[in-house]
Formats: sequence, C-alpha cells, structure tokens
Amino acid sequence: MHERRDANPIDRPPPARSSMPGSPDDGVDVTLIRWMLALTPEERLRTLENTIRSILRLRDGQKPA
Amino acid sequence: MDRNQPDLFHLLQVLAEHHVDFIVIDGVGAVLQGAPIATFDLDVVHSREPANLERLLMALTELGAYYREHAEKRLTPAMPHLAGPGHHLLMTQAGPLDLLGVVTKGRGYADLLPAAIDLQIRPGLSAKVLDLAMIITLKEELGGEKDLAALPVLRRTLRERR
Repeated sequence: MHERRDANPIDRPPPARSSMPGSPDDGVDVTLIRWMLALTPEERLRTLENTIRSILRLRDGQKPA
Repeated sequence: MDRNQPDLFHLLQVLAEHHVDFIVIDGVGAVLQGAPIATFDLDVVHSREPANLERLLMALTELGAYYREHAEKRLTPAMPHLAGPGHHLLMTQAGPLDLLGVVTKGRGYADLLPAAIDLQIRPGLSAKVLDLAMIITLKEELGGEKDLAALPVLRRTLRERR
C-alpha cells in the first residue's frame, strides 16, 4: 500500500485552526491530524524525524555551557 | 552517523535489506498512519523463527546495536536473547531500536501478522506496520500513563481515516 497525496507538501504548514470548524471536545487538534493524513507515509516519517531533531536541538541548547 | 540524530529510514532500510520479518508497532507505526505524535524510538515485533533471527542479527551487526541499559559495556544482542519473548532496548548508529519478542497477552509476530498492513514508505522501502486499530488496542491493554495519554489522538486519527 502506498498512500500518495500530491496536494500537501511536507513544508506546508497545517491550516490555521480557526479555518477548520468543528473543534473537537476531547482536546485533540483535528487540524493537525488532517494535515498529517494529507501527507504520504514518507513525509510523515520525515516530519517525525524533523520533530525529534528539533526537540534534541532545544534540549542541547538548554544545557549549561 | 550521529546516534543523537535518529535516522528511522536507515533503520527500516537495513532491516528490509536483510529481509528481516518484523512489524512496526507503537509510535512510529501510528505516525506512518497519520497520527501527529512524537516518539524517539522505533518499536518492532520480530519473528523469532531461527532463520529470521540470523538475518536480524546480521542487520543488528550492521547497525552497531547494543543494549542501551548497558551502554558502557557495549553488550550486544545474541541469538538466544532474541529468541525469547523479552524486550530488547537497543541503541544503534541510527538511533534507538526496541525489539519486542511479544507484546500484550503474549502476542508475537505470527499473532500480530493478520493485523499488519504492507506499507510502502517510499520507493524501494516497504514494511509491515500494525494497523492503527490494533496499535490502539495494545495501548489500551498496556494502560500506562504514556499509552493512555496518546489514546485520544490515536482514536481521533482512526476516525478521521475512515
């Protein structure tokens, strides 16, 4: 199975929350889910890697010199 | 390769190139199916068939895998360990890799196979991934704080996929 959707490149930010009606009552940001679902599996995995790297950079940046 | 910079593609590629039978579960499995969550390691359930363990061991050697909890000793996984039902928390040249002999209710590779999907991650790289509904079931059964915290996002993702 290869999910492919061409319309949403990975570098496109998720839509503004106010543009997505129907705010969920469970506290989950459905706009993020819809954005991720619009990506291919490759793009999703790359997004995760970028997230990990960003977190690690922030962590390392907070270490005392 | 920097161990502090996980390379999930490389981990999956090496396992695939060695024809290891495994199923991606947990966080990375959920992300591949569209869940916007963060995780730092790749969790897989591996087949414990002897021939597969040989292939797995070759892949782990290529990845320079060793047990994270014994980092100073660089204790490397061996066939008898991998043949058991336990969990192997490894560090590799491409980041953390958790190998699970079984998951909740003693489910091993063969038990989970019917709930796995073949996913093409990118051209030339495919993997079996546990479907999102089953990932949710496992997290419900585990019931840990981290697992329960992820459930609303996973359930909502499942609903949005349908």
